[in-house]
Amino acid sequence: MLIIRDLVKRYGNFTAVDHLNMHVQRGQIFGFIGPNGAGKTTTMKIIATLLAPTSGQVMVDGVELQKDPIKIREKIGYMPDFFGVYDNLKVMEYLDFYGSAYGIEYRQRRRIAEDLLELVDLRDKKDAYVDTLSRGMKQRLCLARCLIHNPELLILDEPASGMDPRARAEIKGILKELKRMGKTILISSHILAELSEICDCVGIIDRGRMVVQGSVDHIVRRMEGEAVVRLKVLRDVDRAVKLLKEQPMVTGIVQEEQFLEVTCKGNDEELWKLLRTLVNSEIPVISFNKAEGNLEHIFMEVTSDEEMVL
Amino acid sequence: MKKWYYNPVLASSLKTRMRGWRTAASVTAYLGVMLFIAYIFFKIYIEAQAINGISVNANQSVGLQVYLTLAIIQFALILLITPAQTAGVVSSEREMQTLDLLLCTKMSSAAIIMGKLLSSLGFILLLIIASIPLFSLVLLFGGIALEDIAILFLFYIVTAFGVGSIGVFYSTLFKRTVVSTVVTYVTIFFLGIVSVVLGTYMMAMHYSQPSQPADYYIPFILYINPGVGLADLLSTQAGGQYVLPYGIIGLLIGQVGNIPQGWFQQLPFWVKNIGVISIIATLLLVISTWSIRPNKRMGARIWKVRRSG
Repeated sequence: MLIIRDLVKRYGNFTAVDHLNMHVQRGQIFGFIGPNGAGKTTTMKIIATLLAPTSGQVMVDGVELQKDPIKIREKIGYMPDFFGVYDNLKVMEYLDFYGSAYGIEYRQRRRIAEDLLELVDLRDKKDAYVDTLSRGMKQRLCLARCLIHNPELLILDEPASGMDPRARAEIKGILKELKRMGKTILISSHILAELSEICDCVGIIDRGRMVVQGSVDHIVRRMEGEAVVRLKVLRDVDRAVKLLKEQPMVTGIVQEEQFLEVTCKGNDEELWKLLRTLVNSEIPVISFNKAEGNLEHIFMEVTSDEEMVL
Repeated sequence: MKKWYYNPVLASSLKTRMRGWRTAASVTAYLGVMLFIAYIFFKIYIEAQAINGISVNANQSVGLQVYLTLAIIQFALILLITPAQTAGVVSSEREMQTLDLLLCTKMSSAAIIMGKLLSSLGFILLLIIASIPLFSLVLLFGGIALEDIAILFLFYIVTAFGVGSIGVFYSTLFKRTVVSTVVTYVTIFFLGIVSVVLGTYMMAMHYSQPSQPADYYIPFILYINPGVGLADLLSTQAGGQYVLPYGIIGLLIGQVGNIPQGWFQQLPFWVKNIGVISIIATLLLVISTWSIRPNKRMGARIWKVRRSG
C-alpha cells in the first residue's frame, strides 16, 4: 500500500529524513516510532503531499507521489499532531465542509458524515459547536474528518497525544474498527505499549533513518533473544533457585520472596521444558508467566545504537 | 457532480460569518454612521443655502454635495474596513492550524485563496449594497443620475478587491495576523497619502521645466492610488464644477489640462485607475496562490494533472 524508497528530506545542511525505506502492507496498522525530531512528522507530511522530498520515491497504492499528488490526496487521510478545528463551525458543518472540499456531492457527504459520527461516537454532538467539545471528542472528530472521503491509507500523527486513558482507549477501539474495515493505517505515537497492542508492524526511526522495522513479536525476539519468565513457588524457593541455576538455558535469576524472575535463552519449547523440570522435581510452582516483549525497552536501546536491519 | 462555481471555503465562511447578531449589528452601525453624517452635512448645506440665498439649482446643489460627501465617507470606510477583513484570512488559518488540512484536500490553492478573498469581500459587498437606499435619497434632489451611483459602486467594488488582495497577499506572507494587518494598513497609508505627495511632486517638477512641456503626464504612482481615481470620477460626475480635469492633483499643481493623445490616454483617469488596480490585485492573488502551495516543487506537476484531468 505504501512504499518508501531512499527518501531524503534536507533543510539546508540539516537532514531531517535520511535515506528512509519503508513498506506498509494493505490492511496493516504500522506503528511509526521515534524520539522527538527523528523525522516522523516530516515523513508523514511528505506522504500527505504537504512537503516535497529532496530525493527518493514515495508510492501510495501504486501511484507515485511526485507524479500525481492529487491522486494521492484522494487515497490518503491525514491527521496531524494538532487539532486543527474551526471553532465557529458545528460538528456536522465541520465534516460537511471537508466533504465539500473533497468534491463530494451534498447528500452523499451528509450521509457519510452521519455514519462517521456514529463510528466515532459523536452522533449526539452533531449540532454542537466544535469549541464546546472536549479534547478527546475533538480528536475523534479530526479522525472522522480524515475519513470523510473514504481514503485507503490513514496517516495519523500522534493521534492520542495529550489524551486521558479513557480517550486513548476510545481511539484505540476506533482504530481496531478501521482495521477491520480494511483501512491501512500509519500511526506515530510515543505511547509504545499501546502501539504494540494494536500494530501489526512497527518501524523505529532515529535521526531520519529507519533503525529497525518488522512485526512487534519479531522485533522483540530478534532484539532481545531471550525470554523472561516470572514464576511463583509455594515453598522450597532455595531448592528451586538451585535447580534453575543448573539449567543451561537459564542466564539469570532474580529472587524476591516467593517470586522468581528467570531470564532464559530459547523458544517456547525450551520454556515448557523448564517448567516440566521444575514440576518433575516436585517444586510447587503455582504460577509461570512469560513476560511480553517490551517495545519501550527496545526503543530506548535502538535509538542510541547503529542501524539494524531485520 | 461538482459544480464549477461552488467554492467550499466561500460557502462555509459566508455561512459562519452571516449567522448570529454580529453581522446585522455591524451593518446597522455602518448605516447609522453614514446616515448620521449625511444628515449633518445635509443640515450644513441647507444652512449655507439659506445664508447665500435660494437659487434655482439649490436642491440639485445640496443633493450633489451630500452625494459627494457620502461617496468620500463610504470610500474611506471601505479602505478602513477591508484590510481588517482580509489581512488575516490565510494567517488565521495558519494560527488555527487548519491550513495544512485544507491543502490536503482536493481544493486547489487558487480556489482556497479566491474563496477566502470573496468571503471577506462578501461582507464589504453587503455594506455597499446596504448603503444603496441611502445614496438613492440623493436622487430626490436631482443633480445625480442613477448610472452615476452604479458607476461609483462599481468603483467601490474594484477598490475593495484591490485593497482586499493586498490584505490576502500579506496574510500569506506573514504567519501572524497582527503583523499582516499592520503591514496592510501601512501599505494602504502609503497608497493613500505618500503616493499623492510623491505623484504631485513629480507632476509639479515635470510641468515646471523651463521648456513648459504640453504633454499629458501623470506619474504611474498615481494610477495605483484609488483615491485619485475616486477624485477623478467624482469630478466627472459633478460636471467638473468642483475639481479640475486632473482631479485633486490638477487642483494642487494648478495644471488644468492638456489634450490627451492616443486611445489609452483619452480614457477617463478613473477607468485606467481601476484597470491598473485590478491588474495589480490579480498579480498579488497569483503570488498568494503560489506561496501557499504546499509542495512548490510538485506545483508544475499538479497544474499539469489538473489540466489533463
